[in-house]
Amino acid sequence: MSRSFGQLIKSAIKTALQVNRDNATDLLEFEVRELENIFSLLILGGFAGLPSPPSPIAVELLPYLEKELLVLIARADLAQDPIGVLAGMMEVG
Amino acid sequence: MNDRAFFLGKGGVGKTTLSGAFALSLARKGKKVLIASLDPAHNLGDILGTRLSGEPITIEPRLDALEVDLAYWVDKYLNESRAQMKANYSYNTAFNLDSFFNIMKYSPGTEEYAVLWAIEDIHCRLGPLYNVVVFDTPPTALSLRFLSLPVISGLWVKELRQLREKILSKRQTVARINPESPIAASCIDKDEDKVYGQLKNIGLRLSRLELLFAKESFISVIVNPDRLSVDEALRIQEELNRLGIPLSAVCVNKKGISDMAWAQHPSLAGYPQFDFDFTREGISSREELMAVGAQALAAHFLNRAGNQ
Repeated sequence: MSRSFGQLIKSAIKTALQVNRDNATDLLEFEVRELENIFSLLILGGFAGLPSPPSPIAVELLPYLEKELLVLIARADLAQDPIGVLAGMMEVG
Repeated sequence: MNDRAFFLGKGGVGKTTLSGAFALSLARKGKKVLIASLDPAHNLGDILGTRLSGEPITIEPRLDALEVDLAYWVDKYLNESRAQMKANYSYNTAFNLDSFFNIMKYSPGTEEYAVLWAIEDIHCRLGPLYNVVVFDTPPTALSLRFLSLPVISGLWVKELRQLREKILSKRQTVARINPESPIAASCIDKDEDKVYGQLKNIGLRLSRLELLFAKESFISVIVNPDRLSVDEALRIQEELNRLGIPLSAVCVNKKGISDMAWAQHPSLAGYPQFDFDFTREGISSREELMAVGAQALAAHFLNRAGNQ
């Protein structure tokens, strides 16, 4: 009984620590995703009329950009509500 | 090292004739020479009297020639990229790739890049087999675009590398603080990041080409004794200056085509100048190509290369 109580405490502390870690890196993770999105936009923006490097450079990089493409598509889905995304990030409301 | 020669100029001034005569003169002076036509509308084979292909064909002892097939280079790179994408991407993301790559074939910039890839291949793979490689270039617009690509694309690649470094550094920070974060599971190291590695690789190739154009090449501009070709030569000179590519010589072809008084433009008069007479009968054999008189230009090129 005491052993399982100890484990419960341990698990609670571990969860609390993880929540703290998640809170600490939330903004940074958001920034990384935004940077990845900008990176993809810079490379692939030429196809949508944005200033970008010559398209053959994009073709050479494309085979390694699957993750960034998925971030770009996910970001485009949220693009209609940028304030909402920011408010969610800041835990407003 | 100054053993690559490029002949630039307005369409019809005699780039193919003079580059052919120059390559032949060098070969007959004992140098092993490769002449490569980069012009999509090839006529080097007509001048040399041989049907050419994408690989060197021996024209006479010490002189080989080839005509770059730009469609082959466009297909090669797009197919390599397509195969790599199919291997790396999950099925759903790679869906509809074929139509994307079919569009890319005709995308602006692809042809200029194909010329660059072809020059890189000739310079790195075939160049070491020859003493001199002579490039017969396409008309000015395409030539200036491929000459400027290493500098312009190099700037883009530099910026993209810096941004990628920033992303990787932030991913590292997240991974240190919160190893359970999904970002920590992605690549955080420069040496392991394939995108960073590919950017580094493209950057290296572009700087090698930039060096080739700016430091290792003998760039000659060809004019006729008329205002239009001289005006275009001045624009070429201005663009080369902007790119940091030095002009090595000016060739005046078809001298004597008209009796009108003509004097070289002051901006071009400071470069070593070589004159070539107009041949009314045209060129139909290699002996007639020799008679064009590129020996002085070849001697100047060899002295210059010897002094460097």
